[in-house]
Amino acid sequence: MRRPGLRYRVAAAFAAGALALSASMAALSYEFTSQALIAGRERNALRSAYLDASVVHAGLSTERPDIPGALRTLNTGSTRRALLHREGRWYARAADAGLTDAIPPGLQDLVEQGEISMQRVSTDSGPAVVVGVPLPSSSGFYVIDSMRELDQTLRTLALVLTLVAAGTTAAGAGFGWYLTRRVLRPLDTVTAAAREITAGDLDARLDPATEPDLERLTTSFNEMVDQLSARLERDRRFAADVSHELRSPLQTLSAATSVLDRHRDRLDDRTATAVTLLSGEVTRFQRLVTDLLELARDDQPVRRAPVDVADLAREECQARGLPPEVVRVDGGSAATWSIDRRRFAQILGNLLDNAERHGGGAIAVRLGQAPDAFVLEVDDEGPGVRPEDRIAIFDRFVRGRAASARGDSDGTGLGLALVARHAVAHGGQVTVTDRPGGGARFRVELPRTQP
Amino acid sequence: MEQVLLIEDDDRIRLSLTLGLEDEGYTVRGAATAEEGLREQRRAPADTVLVDLMLPGVDGYECIRQLRARDSVPIVVVSARDDTHDIVAALEAGADDYVVKPVAVKELSARLRALRRRARASTVAAVPALVFDDLEIRPEAGEVTVRGEAVAVTRTEFRLLCELAEHPGRVLSRAQLLERVWEYAYGDERLVDVHVGRLRQKIEDDPAAPRHLVTVRGMGYKLQR
Repeated sequence: MRRPGLRYRVAAAFAAGALALSASMAALSYEFTSQALIAGRERNALRSAYLDASVVHAGLSTERPDIPGALRTLNTGSTRRALLHREGRWYARAADAGLTDAIPPGLQDLVEQGEISMQRVSTDSGPAVVVGVPLPSSSGFYVIDSMRELDQTLRTLALVLTLVAAGTTAAGAGFGWYLTRRVLRPLDTVTAAAREITAGDLDARLDPATEPDLERLTTSFNEMVDQLSARLERDRRFAADVSHELRSPLQTLSAATSVLDRHRDRLDDRTATAVTLLSGEVTRFQRLVTDLLELARDDQPVRRAPVDVADLAREECQARGLPPEVVRVDGGSAATWSIDRRRFAQILGNLLDNAERHGGGAIAVRLGQAPDAFVLEVDDEGPGVRPEDRIAIFDRFVRGRAASARGDSDGTGLGLALVARHAVAHGGQVTVTDRPGGGARFRVELPRTQP
Repeated sequence: MEQVLLIEDDDRIRLSLTLGLEDEGYTVRGAATAEEGLREQRRAPADTVLVDLMLPGVDGYECIRQLRARDSVPIVVVSARDDTHDIVAALEAGADDYVVKPVAVKELSARLRALRRRARASTVAAVPALVFDDLEIRPEAGEVTVRGEAVAVTRTEFRLLCELAEHPGRVLSRAQLLERVWEYAYGDERLVDVHVGRLRQKIEDDPAAPRHLVTVRGMGYKLQR
């Protein structure tokens, strides 16, 4: 799995930190606040219960006590329910009947032993506190004081605190995201500079003054680009020198052998044979050097322009003694493609030469169209290319097995490598397959637009 | 017999090309430096000049400029350099054609013949004048005028202009122009671009925003009113 990016990690760390902090703060606040509120509420409940108990006690102190009447005189409001346990019987106001289940037995025991007790319980109508006050003549007065309001307050408090904690977490994440963007912004200029350099602008440099903290990065980046451009310049100059130093003597060789060739009839047989050999090798050497220099020259961009490829293909065929009828154009006789003419002419020429050398001559040159590419196919009737060789033949200096068996070393071993190079320069590719019916089929695909 | 002046500092190349071109029927005079070549050309003008770019002292580009400043003799560059910008610079200096070493003697001779044919042949049949608003071309007289004033153009530029003028308003592709003006089945299309650029300098009021000789993107060039 891919590791998440730096920004995500920093933002997540900020969020986690904010969450831990705000959650613990919220939990502590909740705890303190709720305890204080509950304690206050319990004190109130106790005080009210005392008051009620003294009222009831007063009502019971008469000869014939009217217990329901005494209970009715209590001002209990809506939250409190009063109960009286006297001589094994429970008394309550009519509205409060059936509440005896809410009195915990343990509390009742304590009250019967004469102790004032208080306990929090949960009733059908929410949490409440039960206060028990022992009265003389083995009576117990109980008040069930509902804490629903307090409970709701606490719930609201909990909700608010949770929301605050969540908000703080989100803010933490956002802050982390923002901060990393600020911190990483100088790296954008580094990225931009690197892109420019990739695009061929070797003069792109970073200004170390803009971001003092990143000075080490900018300095080493600039040093790297200096080195790179120096090396490229060295390579370019070397290639140019090699080119010049090879081309000049070749010019002399070429011109001098053409003179020898022209006056061959004045030479004796032995010398004429030597001149034939010399002339052939000079031509081949010349082609080899031209191909090598073409391969070494990597920096030329593809110059696309409309090219009448059908016309060009017929010319290339005629120049090699092939009838123009071998050229077939899908869907008509004309085809105009937007490609680099020089490169395409070399692709075609080299494939035709290859077919002649290893496949007994091209029997078909097809110009077709795929949805997003121009397609050139060259067929021959030779032995074909074995599947295990189908990638290697596009490497440099790989010549056909059959060719070496025949001792024919006419080719430079660079022709197909150049075809591949030109195809790739267009953003396309070249492949070789079996032609139905025997022989090889070379297929070149050139995308319609530069990728 | 046709005379060729060969300005080339490498003795071996000069000697071998001289022998080869003589076999092809040319009279060749050699010069080892640009200064010597310019002196030779002043003394006895050759029909065509072949010039190398890397020369000691005055270099090939300057040599072409000085030759061009004097007359419209066809100039062919024979150089070991094949960088785009070298080729363009040489053509902009005023060369008519550019070949990269090593060039076969037969190929070189074919190019020289084509150049000479172009220089001699009148492309357009008896048409007194082709008028494009303030631009006038007189194929027979070999004259170009802008608002009545004569403009000096080289033979190649003149051929290019006539070819475009013959088809007013019609687009000719670079390949078509190469074939008709340079007589190459196919070749370096930069030749066309550079010559069009030079022509614009001479016939347009604002070469950056041409009015007559306009580019049709992706297709070629046309000449219009």
